[in-house]
Amino acid sequence: MLQHIIFWLTQKRWLLFALAVGAVLLLLPVPSSMESMQGETMTDPIKAYRTMIIVIMAIILIIFEPVPLPAVALMMLFLQVILGIDDPNGVAKSFMNDAVFFIMGSLMMAVAIVSQGLDSRLALGIIRFTGNKTWRIAFGFVGISAFLSSFIGEHTVTAMMMPVGLTLIYNTSTDRDATKNLAALILFSIAYGSAMGSIGTPSGGGRNVIMIGYWQEFGLADISYLGWMRYTYPMLLVEIPIAVAILWFTFRPKQKVLDSAVRKLKVQVARRGAMTGQNILAIIVFLIVFLGWVFFSKKMGLGIIALIGVFLYLVLGLIRWSDLNRNTNWGVILLFGAAISIGLQMKETGAALWFANSAIDIMKNLSEDISILRWLIAVLLTGVLTNLLSNSATVAVIGPIVLNMGGDPIVMGFSTAIASAFAYLTVVASPTCMIIHSSGLVQRSDFLKAGWKMFIMSIVILFIMSKFWAVS
Amino acid sequence: MKFLIAVGSKEYSESTLRVGMQIAKSFQAAVTIVYVGPKISDFSLPHVRLAQERMEEWDFDRPGVEVLEWAFNFLAKNDYITSTTIESGFPKNTLVQTDGNRCDVYLQGTISTDVNLILRNGDIISELRDEVARGGFDVTIIGGSQKRRMAHDMIQYIDSSILIVNKYNPDKTYGLLLPVDDSRKTPQAVKYGVRVAQAFGIKVDLLTVSKTNKFGKGYRNAAKRAAKMMRRMGIEYENHFKHGDPAVVIRETAGNDHIIVMGTSTKNPIAKFFMGSKPLQVMESNPCPILIVK
Repeated sequence: MLQHIIFWLTQKRWLLFALAVGAVLLLLPVPSSMESMQGETMTDPIKAYRTMIIVIMAIILIIFEPVPLPAVALMMLFLQVILGIDDPNGVAKSFMNDAVFFIMGSLMMAVAIVSQGLDSRLALGIIRFTGNKTWRIAFGFVGISAFLSSFIGEHTVTAMMMPVGLTLIYNTSTDRDATKNLAALILFSIAYGSAMGSIGTPSGGGRNVIMIGYWQEFGLADISYLGWMRYTYPMLLVEIPIAVAILWFTFRPKQKVLDSAVRKLKVQVARRGAMTGQNILAIIVFLIVFLGWVFFSKKMGLGIIALIGVFLYLVLGLIRWSDLNRNTNWGVILLFGAAISIGLQMKETGAALWFANSAIDIMKNLSEDISILRWLIAVLLTGVLTNLLSNSATVAVIGPIVLNMGGDPIVMGFSTAIASAFAYLTVVASPTCMIIHSSGLVQRSDFLKAGWKMFIMSIVILFIMSKFWAVS
Repeated sequence: MKFLIAVGSKEYSESTLRVGMQIAKSFQAAVTIVYVGPKISDFSLPHVRLAQERMEEWDFDRPGVEVLEWAFNFLAKNDYITSTTIESGFPKNTLVQTDGNRCDVYLQGTISTDVNLILRNGDIISELRDEVARGGFDVTIIGGSQKRRMAHDMIQYIDSSILIVNKYNPDKTYGLLLPVDDSRKTPQAVKYGVRVAQAFGIKVDLLTVSKTNKFGKGYRNAAKRAAKMMRRMGIEYENHFKHGDPAVVIRETAGNDHIIVMGTSTKNPIAKFFMGSKPLQVMESNPCPILIVK
């Protein structure tokens, strides 16, 4: 019995640490900087302070995962009531909104689309587009992954591209040492291409929709689907060739041409047969959803349109509910809902404003130019947290802080949403990284090798874009 | 008897499997071989599963299956599974998902009817602990190339005897070192020692260590009983009585050419957690395989 208790304690040490941190912070007095804000911008410093305590505890629990993530989500919700931040109905209202609908709908649509087996069509598309030179194939993987993920989300694309990439690698050689660099080049082209692409449109990732939701909720802006694309697509197009160059020079493979591997892939794809009516129908449904996003999202919301898409996939028999149920990440939906709820509380209680002011105060020695300073804080904070948490959870928590920092809320919001895609540094940074790592062909250390270059490159391009690319 | 052998990768786990199977044979034990792959975070699990389903459509194995296939080939080469099982090849298609992060396949064994191959994902200690609780294993076997902390946690938290195949060299002739004292785990350790000595056909060095100059009645009786057992089983043995710190004396006597078999510490878990234990010290300081009998 004692042994079980000791084992439980060692396994849950980060849970105990988070609880201890929470308890100590609760016993400490509210920071004087928070008290002094009472009145004009902060309604109740105690509520604001307690909201920050929940955020700190949640971040510890999400990073170290001592308990299942849905449990963290539940904790974020009930603590709001227990600590007197809001009443139960208030918490419930902040938990469910269009961004959560979108995350739910897009995760379910991803399952429906991936199950169609469209990967062999993608394989043919890539080969036609690139030929058999390795660098062109890498370019094709980055380009197509980025393009597709900008519309249907990064995990969906990575899941579909993985078998195509692995087929090319194993067709080249089954000796892992011989294809070590080639495997890294192709798999990172898929993962990083998908991650980069997810900034392209609002439907590229749940975090984009979360940011649009915050803009609307706080009355700061109303960005349309195409309006978003106008801001982000130029950056995506600039990033693609640079990312290919970074990956190529980091993992320069021995094989400069993949002649026989490409030929074998063509034969394998031919054997899988032509596109079925079901495949075509699945694409048509997605196109309907896409057109809905472009033309009706302002009126109907991106989430509701995504749910219509799921409805169509189900009623047309393109996916069974049991498959959808099994492969949809319900826990993550709960967590993102809870993160958005706490994000809204941060704004409501003034905690976001307090954090924004404190961060600027602490870092004011770094630069005299306040606009650069607040931009830098937003991007670095998001970039670092997105590599430790998850990109949507990061935007949900950081969003209200950034939008309270002052400056142009559109530039700040876009910069935060875009920086949350810079999840290149660790395996746990995003499901795309975990998917390629689970192939066993790329090591944990490989992520840092190319990741830090991608991270710096992305920040520099984002800075240039933020400075010179105005949103109309 | 039921043995659980944890393998890490084909590059480093051959000696673990070889020694484990050899000892399992002497016990005529049912054997389960388990490979624990890396933990997949909650954020990514359904996405990774979806990607793996796609890969299976393209005839790519789920990561880790190649380790089980290698284990199958090892068992086949050394006749640990029946010829009909060998002829039908590695039954990849019967690898059944039995839990969220666990799948298994059954083979027909020659030393006992059951040989089971299992694939799991997650934190290795939690997964092995869970597997031991689920399967009621008597002995868990791991390689010594794993992190020291892991061997430590295995001894601390796994509810079975533990064999750590540390720096085993198949070309070397080993002896068996069996430290005995008056603790209640010694008789069980002696029984296990007999089987291991039989499995390898090696001589046993019975070692009684006293911290003082005297050897109490309990110590002398334990040594006597162990010697009687060796004689009865026809195993060549030698009795050693030495003074000093037990962990140091065991290390000096074992050198690098003994397999050590000893009883687990009977200290309470809290004392073990904070102060360590004799088997833990021996395991950490000796470059040889060690079986800690619980």
